[in-house]
Amino acid sequence: MRKFFRIYQSFTKAGVENAMAYRTSFLCFALGESLYCFVMYFIWKAIFLSSGDSSFLGFSMTDMTVYVFLSNLVGFLISTDSTDNLAEEIHDGSIIMRMIKPVNIDYSILAFELGNKVMVITCIFLPVMVGVEIYRYVTLGYVAFQLGNFLLFVVSVIFSYLLSFYLNLIFGYLAFFLLNIWGFSILKSSIINFFSGALIPLAFFPGAVRLVFEQLPFASLVYVPTMIYMGKYTGEELAFALGKQIFWLLAFVGISRFIWSLAQKRLAVQGG
Amino acid sequence: MIYVDNVTKEFKKVVKESGLKGSISSLFCRTYQTVRAVDDISFHVPKGEILGFIGANGAGKSTTIKMLTGILTPTSGKVKINGQVPYKNRKKYVQEIGVVFGQRTQLWWDLPLTETFSVLQQIYQVEEQEFQKRMAFLNQVLELEEFIKSPVRTLSLGQRMRADLAASMIHNPKVLFLDEPTIGLDVAVKNNIRKAITEINQQEQTTIILTTHDLNDIESLCKRIVMIDKGKIMYDGSLTEMKSKFGKYREVNFSLEQEAEFEKLSFAADFQVEKEDIKVNRSKEKITVTFHAGKISVQSMLSYLLKRVQIKDISVNDVNIEEIVCRMYGKEVTGA
Ligand SMILES: Nc1ncnc2c1ncn2[C@@H]1O[C@H](COP(=O)(O)OP(=O)(O)OP(=O)(O)O)[C@@H](O)[C@H]1O
Ligand SMILES: [Mg+2]
Repeated sequence: MRKFFRIYQSFTKAGVENAMAYRTSFLCFALGESLYCFVMYFIWKAIFLSSGDSSFLGFSMTDMTVYVFLSNLVGFLISTDSTDNLAEEIHDGSIIMRMIKPVNIDYSILAFELGNKVMVITCIFLPVMVGVEIYRYVTLGYVAFQLGNFLLFVVSVIFSYLLSFYLNLIFGYLAFFLLNIWGFSILKSSIINFFSGALIPLAFFPGAVRLVFEQLPFASLVYVPTMIYMGKYTGEELAFALGKQIFWLLAFVGISRFIWSLAQKRLAVQGG
Repeated sequence: MIYVDNVTKEFKKVVKESGLKGSISSLFCRTYQTVRAVDDISFHVPKGEILGFIGANGAGKSTTIKMLTGILTPTSGKVKINGQVPYKNRKKYVQEIGVVFGQRTQLWWDLPLTETFSVLQQIYQVEEQEFQKRMAFLNQVLELEEFIKSPVRTLSLGQRMRADLAASMIHNPKVLFLDEPTIGLDVAVKNNIRKAITEINQQEQTTIILTTHDLNDIESLCKRIVMIDKGKIMYDGSLTEMKSKFGKYREVNFSLEQEAEFEKLSFAADFQVEKEDIKVNRSKEKITVTFHAGKISVQSMLSYLLKRVQIKDISVNDVNIEEIVCRMYGKEVTGA
């Protein structure tokens, strides 16, 4: 186990260094994301104002604001480039450079990307979270932050990230069979955005549809951690939500391993 | 050490028919074509040997290396290296080998070289003391010191290649696979790299398989060569044997005082030999006459030339293996 961490921790360290090398583009990206949050905020504010109610399907204006910022934040935390990077590596054949090393393909990509996440957490997550809490304190008049919820949120975000990572990895491995992943990549992100509640909160869908959506793994990605943070889940509901995440995570890891073993057999590496 | 038995690798290629009709029909039913990149090859390499793997472009060298390194699974046949089957337990197998693909890099593009090395140290679990010793050695042979702190993307090709070679040796592998390790390098760097390969081979008894298009690499590194063409082995044996078998040719190089006299000569007719036994090659100043030394003696060639034309410089050489290989590829070797 120590050995395991020693090996992959070196990838993470390299990932941090790599993120540092690209900090300018990283900051531009972060800026764009926050602008998007504010646009969403104003849209929802307009909806609330025109409806005249103080609560919309159990969401107050404060809830809605927190949801907008937090769900985007979660989306940001769990986003992963593994499909594109892997597909790219498969396409140009540089995947072989990973294959000649005594490491797992998935762990090495994961550990490297975690290095990037360290940057996201320190430069984006923590400041925005503090901002959201200040906002809640100002509008509600009391401290809404709960450590318990926060810790559960952290656990859930980690699951979500791993889910998203393995989901993407599966799409990436498909590049071995298709050798052109471009259209797939777009399809994949639209699917995930729609089903995950990043576009519209799942609570706003009609009953039956919502029930189905909630069983799918996509729902776990952004929605569950966000709802946990906001304290909307308790007791059984909470345990069920986390259990579901674990279930899908195991399924995804299994599927990705299976596809990889298939791919390895009929692998055709391109380029001399 | 390395056993390759009756190994074949086939690739399936999608055949695209031309035109719009072809594109549409290929959406529904794809026709595949099988390309046999490596065709039933067998060879063994004992421990500590440097084997040169040569062949024309597309001969199947890289494909073979990819099978030996566990990246590709052979369509049929057996590979056993170090007692292991490369593509079976990849992670365990690659722990003991080092690989350089000259056309790619295993270094982290955006990180300083030192970072890549320390990651590699962790990956291969190299003890700190051993690592330092190794780095010192590689530093000295490959002269990494001057650029070891710079990001890899800023390195020149020669620097990158030296670094890549070092990266493949950091864990003291039992077998090294080098696919075109000298591609695109200048003479000085090539020498550097050859020196490193020789030293690692001598010090650690590393078994090395190397592909190259530069036959000087072969001459300075390998006692034995395997030549493949269109996926098949055409020659497997020592370099000297190949030279004596196929190298019954000599060449005279000279330059002329006067052009006109030379034009009148017709070698084949004067020596009464076949056309392919004698060849004349002219570059700007220099003339090279290559001839079969079994049929025309060096002495008669020289006296023939000296009698008929005014010559400035003259030298007689063995034909270099480049020429031999060219002849073999062209399959016009008659001296065998
Ligand atoms: N992924 C692939 N799919 C289809 N055909 C392939 C693939 N990889 C290689 N080939 C074919 O296999 C043959 C051998 O290729 P290989 O790369 O082994 O040649 P090589 O000897 O390394 O040549 P070079 O000296 O140019 O590097 C070529 O005809 C090539 O087109
Ligand atoms: Mg090649």
